[in-house]
Amino acid sequence: MIDFPLNEATLIATLLLAPIISSLPVAFAWLMEPKREWTRNLPIIAVFGLFISLICSLYILFNFGKLEEAVKIPFDWLPGYNISFVFIFDYLSKIMGVLTAFIAFLIGVYGLEYMKHDYRLGWYWFFFNLFTASMLLVVYSDNLLMLLIGWEGLGLASWGLIGHWFRDDDDMSFVGNVGRKIAGINYFWSPSLGAWRAISTIRIGDMPMFFAIAAIFFFAGTLNISEIHWHELAEKLGAFGIFLILFAFLLGPFTKSAQLPFSEWLMTAMTGPTTVSALLHSATMVAAGTYIFMRLSWYVEPWNIHNAGVESIYVLVLFLGLVSAFYGASVALGCLERKVLLAASTMSSLGLMFATASASKWVGEFALMVAFWYLVTHAFAKATLFLVAGHLIHETHDRFCVGGKDLAKHLRLAFLATIIATLCLSGIPPLTAYWVKSAMDEVEHSLEHEFGLIPLMLLVLTSAIYSAFLAKFLSLNFLKGDYKLKAHGGGRLMSFAYIVMGSMLILLLAIYLIDHEFHEFVEEGFLTSSLTVGLVVLTTYLIGLAKPRLESPIGKALGDRLYLAFLNDYLVPKLGWALAKLVDYGNRAIDFFCHRAIPDSFNFASKSIRKVQSGSVERYLKISVAVILLLLVVAVALGVIV
Amino acid sequence: MITELDILKALVILTFAGILSYKNSILSLALSTLVVFLFLESNGLILMVLSVAILNLISMLAIRKNQIAGLDYALIVFMAIATAYVFFTSDIAELLVLFVVVSVPTYLIVMLDEGKLNVDPGIKYIAFMVIATVVFIIGSAVLYLGYSWQNSTIYLLGFVALLIGLALEVGVAPFHEWVPDVFSNANPISISIIASLAKFVPFIVAYKILLMTATELTSLALLIFAVISAISMFIGNIGALTAKDPARILAYSTIANMGYVLAAFSAIMAPRELVYYAIAGGLLQLFVNAFGKIGFFNAIKGGSSSLSNYLLSFSFIGLPPLMGFWSKFFIIYALVFSNYLWLAILLVLNSAISIPYYLRLVRLTEVSSKSLITNTVATVTAFVMLITLIPPVWFVELVKEVLK
Amino acid sequence: MNFLHILLFPLLITFILPIFRARIATALSTISFLIPAFVSLYLLLTAHRGEELLMNLPAPIGDFYLLYDPISHAFGFTISLVSAMVALYSLPYMKHRFEEMGAKEGEFRKYWFLYNLYAVSMLWLVYSGNLLLLYIFLEISLLASFMLIYLYGYGNRQWVGILYFVWTHIAGVLALTGFLIVAFANQTLALNELKVIGFIPWLLIFLGMVVKLPGLGPHIWLPWAHAEAPTPVSALLSPLTVGLAGYVLLRIYLIDSSFIVQFREIIIFYAIISSIYAGLSVFKQRDYKRLLAYSTVSQMGYVLIAICLGSYGLIGLVIQYMSHAFGKAILFMTAGAIIATFHGLRNLDKMKGMHEFVPTISNAALLGFMTLSGIITIGMFAEFFILLGLTQIYGFNLQIISLVVLVFIISGLYSFYTMKEIYYGTPMAYEKPKFSRLLDLPLYAIALFSVAFIFPPLAPALLDGIKLALGGVMP
Repeated sequence: MIDFPLNEATLIATLLLAPIISSLPVAFAWLMEPKREWTRNLPIIAVFGLFISLICSLYILFNFGKLEEAVKIPFDWLPGYNISFVFIFDYLSKIMGVLTAFIAFLIGVYGLEYMKHDYRLGWYWFFFNLFTASMLLVVYSDNLLMLLIGWEGLGLASWGLIGHWFRDDDDMSFVGNVGRKIAGINYFWSPSLGAWRAISTIRIGDMPMFFAIAAIFFFAGTLNISEIHWHELAEKLGAFGIFLILFAFLLGPFTKSAQLPFSEWLMTAMTGPTTVSALLHSATMVAAGTYIFMRLSWYVEPWNIHNAGVESIYVLVLFLGLVSAFYGASVALGCLERKVLLAASTMSSLGLMFATASASKWVGEFALMVAFWYLVTHAFAKATLFLVAGHLIHETHDRFCVGGKDLAKHLRLAFLATIIATLCLSGIPPLTAYWVKSAMDEVEHSLEHEFGLIPLMLLVLTSAIYSAFLAKFLSLNFLKGDYKLKAHGGGRLMSFAYIVMGSMLILLLAIYLIDHEFHEFVEEGFLTSSLTVGLVVLTTYLIGLAKPRLESPIGKALGDRLYLAFLNDYLVPKLGWALAKLVDYGNRAIDFFCHRAIPDSFNFASKSIRKVQSGSVERYLKISVAVILLLLVVAVALGVIV
Repeated sequence: MITELDILKALVILTFAGILSYKNSILSLALSTLVVFLFLESNGLILMVLSVAILNLISMLAIRKNQIAGLDYALIVFMAIATAYVFFTSDIAELLVLFVVVSVPTYLIVMLDEGKLNVDPGIKYIAFMVIATVVFIIGSAVLYLGYSWQNSTIYLLGFVALLIGLALEVGVAPFHEWVPDVFSNANPISISIIASLAKFVPFIVAYKILLMTATELTSLALLIFAVISAISMFIGNIGALTAKDPARILAYSTIANMGYVLAAFSAIMAPRELVYYAIAGGLLQLFVNAFGKIGFFNAIKGGSSSLSNYLLSFSFIGLPPLMGFWSKFFIIYALVFSNYLWLAILLVLNSAISIPYYLRLVRLTEVSSKSLITNTVATVTAFVMLITLIPPVWFVELVKEVLK
Repeated sequence: MNFLHILLFPLLITFILPIFRARIATALSTISFLIPAFVSLYLLLTAHRGEELLMNLPAPIGDFYLLYDPISHAFGFTISLVSAMVALYSLPYMKHRFEEMGAKEGEFRKYWFLYNLYAVSMLWLVYSGNLLLLYIFLEISLLASFMLIYLYGYGNRQWVGILYFVWTHIAGVLALTGFLIVAFANQTLALNELKVIGFIPWLLIFLGMVVKLPGLGPHIWLPWAHAEAPTPVSALLSPLTVGLAGYVLLRIYLIDSSFIVQFREIIIFYAIISSIYAGLSVFKQRDYKRLLAYSTVSQMGYVLIAICLGSYGLIGLVIQYMSHAFGKAILFMTAGAIIATFHGLRNLDKMKGMHEFVPTISNAALLGFMTLSGIITIGMFAEFFILLGLTQIYGFNLQIISLVVLVFIISGLYSFYTMKEIYYGTPMAYEKPKFSRLLDLPLYAIALFSVAFIFPPLAPALLDGIKLALGGVMP
């Protein structure tokens, strides 16, 4: 099938460049003044570019050997340094690539209608497509430096898209109740602020990650994840060394995937257009963090390494993931904003993925499989929910969960999609996520030797809460909310997108049940313990559905994200500004010293020197004679000494 | 090589020029110029001295109506001849005579002005010059005595007296008191001569005498030179910072420049192949000072273009590839190899201190109307600063040739 | 035809520029730098090395010759590319400035002479094979840039000009003193014959270059000079000139690295502190150009960090110079474009949501900040090699690693903070202006190279070339 390299080069170039190039027409046309009406049709080309990427990724899925087989395709980059562009098509990347391209394409289609009347289409589509291309690069990279290009591209594009409505003039694009203050700081966020919070958090993680990549290159001599001898590396560097490198590396994924305490940016990332949130939360950006962790673990094979450093890292990730998952779910429970609720739920899911993937240290590759398929399931469901949320915001002009049966009637497809997505995601037997979650239960359960039942408990608790707030989302938006319907038209393209997206969950369910590969999932699903958990989840779902609102101070605190925003908006800036103020004083002092004090003292000296010039010869002669005598004394003294 | 016979010829013609000047000053100018041309065939260094003299002659045209119109040309050329000759002689008596010979005409020149004689600066100047000459000559004698008797106290006394004489003569701080007053009160053109042509001989004479009487004590005694030169740089450069009158700024700049030249003396005990850099540095600094002062005083007198003023200022500050850079370059090199690093660093810092006032000088001398003579002279001096576009290793060669 | 002729071309053009009218002079100046830009790029791609004798001079000066190696070509390419683009940009900008000053069009004659002299002296500097020649060009560039500030700067321009002159002259003469001690010890200043650099000359050169670079303390001159200079001059001063101190240090290091190796700890701590300090200072600035100037100080800290980090660090140094040059040139030009179109607007308090009015400038600023913070631009390699050198020299020294990482983080933070402050937020009440394309297109031309340098064929050519010039073997 793949005969000559040119073919591969073209394929990969098309895959990565099609979205970018196809977005250029609209990007450039939109810089024109005045903006012409026909430029509003150009996004179709951009979406077509996404479609081409999808085709390419599908081609990669089917044409590079068996699914489990890993094919590496290198291209020269820096031959003098043994750094090349290496694309890897293996189990993870093949599937992840299709997932990314597919979701991006569908959201693109949705965006054609959703963003139709926007004031900044050029910017939007360029960054949207750059976002997709960057993610595809991350997905297919084996080389860490090349991966970093995509990684930084993700950060940049997310900044561009979150702050898309940079004018900060539309309340609809804010997060939080506009005008609300807590303890003196604004508890609402504008798009430009959201963008800043995102990129600033991400930079904090990316730089240590960059260091880790450099260190890995220095010690391992290569940057290709699949070629690094992790086992030997761990031996060579010792526990502290490998711990430091892995920890620094993982700070990148932690920030990108919004694990504690870096979660705040993700919540205020909701200031971007909903399409962006959908993409950001399903298959790109945040998923990139967990995906990289899985890919790394896939080749590190931690279950084969017995090193205190590696072990500590996996323990850290396990608990960080579980705690983040629990935190995210609790926050989502208290949240009333549509998108923020979903964002918190994403954080929770990401925590679960991290935790499950890290369990591979003790459980083996199976844990990675579970984590990865949970990622896939979650991606479709979350994309569906976000797309629905976007449509709802469009329809109701309200960011908060409002709606009622009228709305459900009016937007039948949205209602349907929400039902499918919530049911499939919460892990209610026998729907899609149930099988994955059952496997996850089993994975966490098998950690009993190491950590007791804490991981499992946390997981079950998180799942229960998770399903409750999903039900709440459904209920508040379509069943029990208070909203007077003002009918709008349109929305066909949007409905099409989320219906297709939602139906993918059904397809996935079918795959889980039919494909032999997933027989373990299914087996786990038939265990009593799993069924019990499933029933718990179903119960909380029903409770959430029946009683979506419950006023309580705890709920309010949860809705305010346990005031974690103070970390981003108060503590860190306060510290930063204090330091900035300090150096500012320093600068003033140096400036005064160098540019006032020194010149002034020179001027003073100069005036003293000139004071001698009184104009009287007698005085001059006196001075001269005095100095002459002095010098002669010096001469005699010198002579005597010598 | 200039012989005594050449000097005799020149003296005869100059006497004629002096006499003729009572009749016609143009004739005197022509004859004086002729003398300059008689010496033209000599070494390049002499050529540079003569070009200083020619520029002095031309700028003298700007005050054609002075009291001794006509005689002044002869006096200038007389000084020039003496300056040229001093390179070739090494007889102590001749050297002392030359010292006096260059000094005395300036007594007259300083008082020249259009209209009535400018007596006030004259008095100050002459008072100091007389002391300078006396101390210098006594100093040389004592120095020679100390050298012959091998008596270190006497030697050092003579040494210091020589230094004092030199310092008084050229205006090195702390013997600089006369300089700012004289420079600002006398006519700019007369000062341009005193600040340029008259500065060579004292230094060369002092150098030759020091060399003749060198003992193992000399290196130690040169430390006094180094200290005095540092004082002079600082007094000159800092003093100029707040001076407002351009002539006063130039006075302080002269004090500083004399300090730089004096710094070069610290290295004269170095081995032969190195000492030439020190001498070349000192001499080149004298040339920079001479051309620069001629240019600036002409600018003060009748105005000149700001381009030439900028060039002169940058040269004084010591920016490459202008001449002022290379003089400092050689001096610093000399200081480096004679282990006077501290003085080298003080010198370069001084060049930074001098920046503000040289730039102010450009602004102060900016005029809208320019007289042809002064503008031409200033422009020529500015372009002379550019001759070191070819790195002046040739200048070192010239020095070697002359002082062999 | 050899490279000497290419280098002579802009030099000759400099002296004939005053004859021409402003438009033609702009074109000529641009072309005179574009030619060396492309030729040096070509030579970089072919890893060209060589020497070309200009003048035989006796000891202690030694031969004046031109030195060609990939390092020189990398610097030379950067300088000529940026100079060419800024030359284009100068036309509309200086027209605005002259109008503002009430000067006539004829002022362009002086301007073009000084501009070209300034740029060409920097270009010659990086090809100088003799420390004295290098010093001469260093001072000529200082002189020309000083004149440009003195004549056309903002605010109290004469005071600022003198301040700039004094500081950089101190830097220059300290280095010169060091060079002369080197000259005495080696009896030559030709780079190819130098053997030893003693402690004292190293110290003097280092101190001089720290003033010029500048490091913490002496840095105080830079915000004044770079903020008050006319923007095209800022766009050369900040990207090109200060970094040349790094170039000088690199050349000295390649002859004798003893000083840096011996005092590595002190120097790197100083460099880190100075970078962090300046990075934090950026946040407090409310003047766009002053803000950028502080960022320059911070970025120059990278250069000083890089020189402490062995051969990987040296690669990082060269790339950091290029990346900072590209990024900062773009950024200063964005500041200038706003000044020119909004009549002297440079106060951050009066800028909000500027993207609304000048989207192309805003996008260019984004590219500039991306270059500074190393996002999908050549800056990425700079950071990569600095980190690589860090690992090589310091292994797992947690203290230094975290500090260097902090330095990088701060750069990213102030970049996007500035983006937010200036270009994002609710737009203020301005009219959407019309402005010359020359105020934005040159910025994109530079940005193009900034991005292109992480991909083949430029990236491998550059990196292999530097490796070759450093001696080939990576320890």
